[in-house]
Amino acid sequence: MKKIIAVFIILYGAVFMLLAQQKTVTGKVLSSEAGQPLAGAEVEVKGTGDVLVTGEDGSFSLNVQEGVVLVFRYAGMRSREITVGTSDIINVVLDKDYNGLENNIETGYGVLKKLELTGSISSIDGSVLRNIPVSAADVALQGKAAGLFVEQVNGKVAALTRIRIRGISSVYATSQPLFIVDGIPVTTESVNLSGAPVNPFTTINTEDIESVEILRDASSTAIYGARGANGVIIIKTKRGYSGDTRINLTLRTGFNEPSRLREFMNAEEYVTYMREAAKNGDLMYDRYYGYEPGTITFCRDEVENRLKTYSGWAAVLNNTGRFLRSEVSTDWQSLAFRKGRIWSADLSAQGGNDKLQYSAGSSVLINDGILVSNGIEKISARLRIDNKVSRRIDLGFSLRINRAAIDQVSSDNYLSSPLQLVAQAPVTPPRDADGELSTFPVTSYYNALLDAEYASKKITEYRSLTSGYINFNIIEGLTWKNELGFDLYGNKENARYGEKTMEGMDRSGYGFANHGQNQNITGRSLLLFNRKLSNISLNTLLGTEFQHTSVETMYTEGERFASDALKTIASAGIISGGSSTLSRYGFLAGFLRVNTNYDGKYLLSLSGRIEGSSRFGSNNKYGFFPGISAGWIMTGENFMQSVPFLSFLKIKAGYGLAGNAGFGNYWHLGLYDSGSYGDVPGLIPGQMANPDLKWESLSEINTGVEFGFLKDRISGEIDIYQRKATNILLGEEVPSTTGYLTRIQNSGAIQNKGLEFVLNTVNITGLFEWKTSLNFSLNKNKVLSLGKQNILDFGGESYMNVAMTGYPIGSFYGAEYAGVDYNNGDALWYINEKDANGNIINPDKTTSNFNSANFIILGNPNPDFMGAITNTLCYKGLELIFTFQGVAGNKIHLAGDRWMASNGVWFDNQLKSQLRSWKSKGDITDVPQARLLWDNGNQSRSSRYLSDGSYLKLREVSLSYDVPSVITNKLNIRKMQLFIQGRNLFTFSLYEGWDPEVSADFMVNNIFSGFDFYSAPQPRTIVFGITLGF
Amino acid sequence: MNRSIILTTVLPLFMLLTGCDWLLEPEPSQSVSEQVALSTDANVKSILNGAYSLFNEPGIYGGNILRNAELLAGNGELLWVNEETYYEPFEFFTKTISADNSEVFTQWRESYRVINTVNNVLSALDVVKKADRGWVEGEALFLRALIYFDLVRFFALPYEPGALNNQYGVPLILKPIREISDEVYTGRNTVEEVYNQIIKDLVAAADRLPDDNWIFATRGAANALLARVYLQKGDYDNARKAADAVISSGKYNLLPVYASIFNQYEPTKEDIFVAKISYPTEYNAMTVSFSTSSFGGNGFIEILDGHLNIYPKEDKRAELFYTGDGALRCGKWNNLYGCVNLIRLAEMFLIRAECNLRLGPPYVGAGPVDDYNAVHTRAGLPAAGSVSLDELILERRRELAFEGHRIHDIKRLKQNIGPWNYKNPKLVFPIPAREILNNPALQSQQNEGYR
Repeated sequence: MKKIIAVFIILYGAVFMLLAQQKTVTGKVLSSEAGQPLAGAEVEVKGTGDVLVTGEDGSFSLNVQEGVVLVFRYAGMRSREITVGTSDIINVVLDKDYNGLENNIETGYGVLKKLELTGSISSIDGSVLRNIPVSAADVALQGKAAGLFVEQVNGKVAALTRIRIRGISSVYATSQPLFIVDGIPVTTESVNLSGAPVNPFTTINTEDIESVEILRDASSTAIYGARGANGVIIIKTKRGYSGDTRINLTLRTGFNEPSRLREFMNAEEYVTYMREAAKNGDLMYDRYYGYEPGTITFCRDEVENRLKTYSGWAAVLNNTGRFLRSEVSTDWQSLAFRKGRIWSADLSAQGGNDKLQYSAGSSVLINDGILVSNGIEKISARLRIDNKVSRRIDLGFSLRINRAAIDQVSSDNYLSSPLQLVAQAPVTPPRDADGELSTFPVTSYYNALLDAEYASKKITEYRSLTSGYINFNIIEGLTWKNELGFDLYGNKENARYGEKTMEGMDRSGYGFANHGQNQNITGRSLLLFNRKLSNISLNTLLGTEFQHTSVETMYTEGERFASDALKTIASAGIISGGSSTLSRYGFLAGFLRVNTNYDGKYLLSLSGRIEGSSRFGSNNKYGFFPGISAGWIMTGENFMQSVPFLSFLKIKAGYGLAGNAGFGNYWHLGLYDSGSYGDVPGLIPGQMANPDLKWESLSEINTGVEFGFLKDRISGEIDIYQRKATNILLGEEVPSTTGYLTRIQNSGAIQNKGLEFVLNTVNITGLFEWKTSLNFSLNKNKVLSLGKQNILDFGGESYMNVAMTGYPIGSFYGAEYAGVDYNNGDALWYINEKDANGNIINPDKTTSNFNSANFIILGNPNPDFMGAITNTLCYKGLELIFTFQGVAGNKIHLAGDRWMASNGVWFDNQLKSQLRSWKSKGDITDVPQARLLWDNGNQSRSSRYLSDGSYLKLREVSLSYDVPSVITNKLNIRKMQLFIQGRNLFTFSLYEGWDPEVSADFMVNNIFSGFDFYSAPQPRTIVFGITLGF
Repeated sequence: MNRSIILTTVLPLFMLLTGCDWLLEPEPSQSVSEQVALSTDANVKSILNGAYSLFNEPGIYGGNILRNAELLAGNGELLWVNEETYYEPFEFFTKTISADNSEVFTQWRESYRVINTVNNVLSALDVVKKADRGWVEGEALFLRALIYFDLVRFFALPYEPGALNNQYGVPLILKPIREISDEVYTGRNTVEEVYNQIIKDLVAAADRLPDDNWIFATRGAANALLARVYLQKGDYDNARKAADAVISSGKYNLLPVYASIFNQYEPTKEDIFVAKISYPTEYNAMTVSFSTSSFGGNGFIEILDGHLNIYPKEDKRAELFYTGDGALRCGKWNNLYGCVNLIRLAEMFLIRAECNLRLGPPYVGAGPVDDYNAVHTRAGLPAAGSVSLDELILERRRELAFEGHRIHDIKRLKQNIGPWNYKNPKLVFPIPAREILNNPALQSQQNEGYR
């Protein structure tokens, strides 16, 4: 080392050095808070790499020349640079690093200090996530970072989570970010068949997480190449440390309940309403056939018959056998829900010595969910060992095993999904006189409770995430890292439907067994070179990476079971079907990144990745993904030192090109599928080859500023971005004389523009501490091109989400509801007739004929604004954290309301709102006249069923109390904390449905989101717990 | 230490350069890549089977191609009753077809799917075992000819014997299409070119096909289709020769009982070529339209008395008609899983008789009266001493009723359907609107009446 120092002296300062005076400088390093001395602070002679450490009293002494710069560092403190002047005594006061500028931030294959970042990367400390009682780790990220949209699609346990970073940039490929857990790109696709799709993140525990980094802009994610376009979320799990073993035991117990309910008619209201609807329905028939009013009694007869049927044993009839009333009034909504219990235990141990460090743990969670027969039981174990073999070699491995047993319920669109119970007539008793569940035709639809009692959809998810590494420290600053990771995610299902259930009916029961498995092997070899050359610090990465993934499924089904007690297919009378599939893909990449920091002020990062994938066509097997970004720490300049209150200012800008390869495995190949003729098997051309098929490209310009005031007690950042995705995959129509209809090709474009804002303040320090952290973001999405098409509309008559050029993806496209004709109670829509230029003529013209109303864009499901504010208050051992989180500017399609708010077109129970329906001439109302069997405004694709989706939720509250050491010492334990945590405690929203955080789970993709179809509301969760540390 | 450095720099480079085929080129499992599909004898034969599995799709030879011919000819003999929900077949019936009629599009699309499949087979004959190349090629050519013959008859103005026939036919695609290139955007060939191609394919197929081949194409099928094509062209000499080749091959017999030809799970001795329907995944689309719910049909086609009037009293063929769901039904199509009879021997007798009668002696094979009587007496009618052309045509109409011949006979014989004469553009299908939209070469080639 000394030799090297000597060389530098000769090279860079020979003349100056010879003239300079050697002298001894002494001093103390102190904390700005209470002026405490800092023992063990580092003092570095800048440009030499020479470091010494302060003593117990914070003092130091060293021989330097005048003019030399000394750098003072201490963990948790902002470092400072001081030029040696004439004085021999230098006392340094270090400020607390409130903004974490000195913290290491994972940038993908390496770390940088937050100070040195030039891209947009958010960092979340794992301790923040542990305060949130959720059953899947990704849900906990909600509101934790700017630009990150997280939505659990409904309130089922293990519901899918939609995660979007800076908007949606694709149509058919994924929009989910790449998730990296301890270096391994993990599987995020669900593979279950029974019931609603399961979120694979149920197999990752929040308890294990040390930190989460969110790489948002393309200059940062370009290092992840063909999979960086949707952003990258890097999760690091806990590792051991050198020191006394610490054991923590956390126990929690609590409950879930639905956070919002809707109001439905009771039996009396229902009967009155349906009779009114029937009367009006009959009058419509009279008018249609030109009869005297009152001639036709079809609807009225039908209603009386149905009411009698639906009431079952509870029907009270008059002496001619006509329905009088029902003895019951069932609140079916309440039967779909329950108060679900939560119970969890987490035991962890960490410790080690200089050579060997470990972290181990095990968790159990039982979460019953808010819907009947929907719950999860998780058990997991983990172990991580890091070993310093020698001065030059480190190695380690990590193993985590998770098992989650889920009692799944059907997807939202199934009659067997619990919340579809609300469609049942309130006159219907849930059970018959013998105590058996009522069935069709007493129930107007299939009774979903039958599924709860006679069907089981057991999904056992498992995941083992294993990784190992060996690192060689070749020379000072040069490290060769080698990592191998194995992610085995799968699920085994046993679905069994008893003979009373819808699936099992007419075939003496039905069942299937399914096994889906996603096996993912990755390997990396990285060469990292970090050097400081005088004023330049250089941080270089050269690496290669491969991934090989295979997805296998095996399936068998059977029917005709002798008894509902027979649970497996072996006992089926007929094994009616079976299948197995295998699908594989691979990635291979080489990459290079150089980060430079000149003089602690000028930052530059250059990266490039060459990546090939099995998913790309032969003409485009490899893509190149560059990223460049630069930053200027302006507060490092002398002229900025005098700006009052300003403690940190950095401006940055970056450009990057990333790819999205999250699409089908064989989309580029010419494929033959199987068929048969006369039972002789054959091969049929199924897909036309596209050897040009490649990744979707995302280019992004990102600029930002990071700031700190009042010694960073106020700090934050603002980012502005414009990202444009091109080469988006679309199925382009081809002449069918080719033998094909479409070919998938790279042809569309989508743009997202936005702004992100983060503000962290330390409001009060001292014994009582109060911190606030705020983030919000604005994003505007626009579909620029859909290739040859102008619109992709797959909604049929039920759903409104479309992709249309010039509008945000997923926009709602339907007829504009104009309210009710006060003369006759007809529903009205605006005709919105367009001239040749597409401009609407006669905007006020209405029609009562839905088919004459032209569809227009009515809104979109993507929030314009989202944000969260977290306050943390501490006093002695007491800590209160609460987070408000919300979104604004989005709309939600109440797609289920065409049934439950249909002003009595059919026999579904109606929402109380329908009592407002038009009754007589002159009534001003928004609900059309009730007319049984006559469509009157109940068409789904109409703004009548659009609702504002903005909300503000008291998302999380955590109150904890650290029992003072006087007591813990007596109990001979290291730590004792009591806490209470809540989630989704209050929701403020004008949304008319259950919960504005919703995207019906049977159709979640880039186009379809923000529509509510009997989707369960998010649970309100409250847990109590205790943490004991030994 | 140096070794480590070399390893670190060389290993990544090595991995990148070798390209790792196993990693970046995994073969699919549920499907077969084009390269694999076209690379072995067994696979190419499987593609040929694949072509058959597309050929019996309901939209074409699974039945609707016959139904469409009957509906297009329909005037006073049948009725399409579901004009609201299934208004598209109704458009054939009323001759008010729109250019985006999905039934028309389905016929077009499914036809070209088979063509592309057989073109793939034909392109890969060199990997087929030498001994089998003949029949593989023959079957592929036969299917291609069959499909082009129906395409040109439905989508183009009729063939006019003796004329140039340079009216638009259909695009002749004779090579497999595996990528999007300029060749994909092909315009229409002339009717003459299409007929020439059909005849060329069939002559070659007849040369290569075996005599017996279960449900697959045979020499007899190729000759029979050839007879039909020549007849449509008005080339009576070639037509009678081809028909005679089928009859004299001795491979086929007229069944003694007319009714026993139909609704069979397997082809009978009278069938020259059928579309086989497999239980339970496939269905006979003729049955769907023609039969009643008790047979699995929807009964959308009712037979009118106007048709029954063409049969003499004792004609056993009239006995096939029955009343079901309140209307008269055609009993030829009562098995949802029965074969679709595409070509059968009786037609060959009728073609030979008609051509011999038109051209006069020397006859090829038996004389017209004998052939007429062969068909006529099987229906339980007394043998005739002589036969006129009109009688022969009428016999043809009775014998082949509701088997998809009617519209083509009307056009060939230059007859009228009510107010529509044989070359009225309303009796020609439009080129599907979607095709015009997606193929610039077709933009100025839409049929008259649909532009």
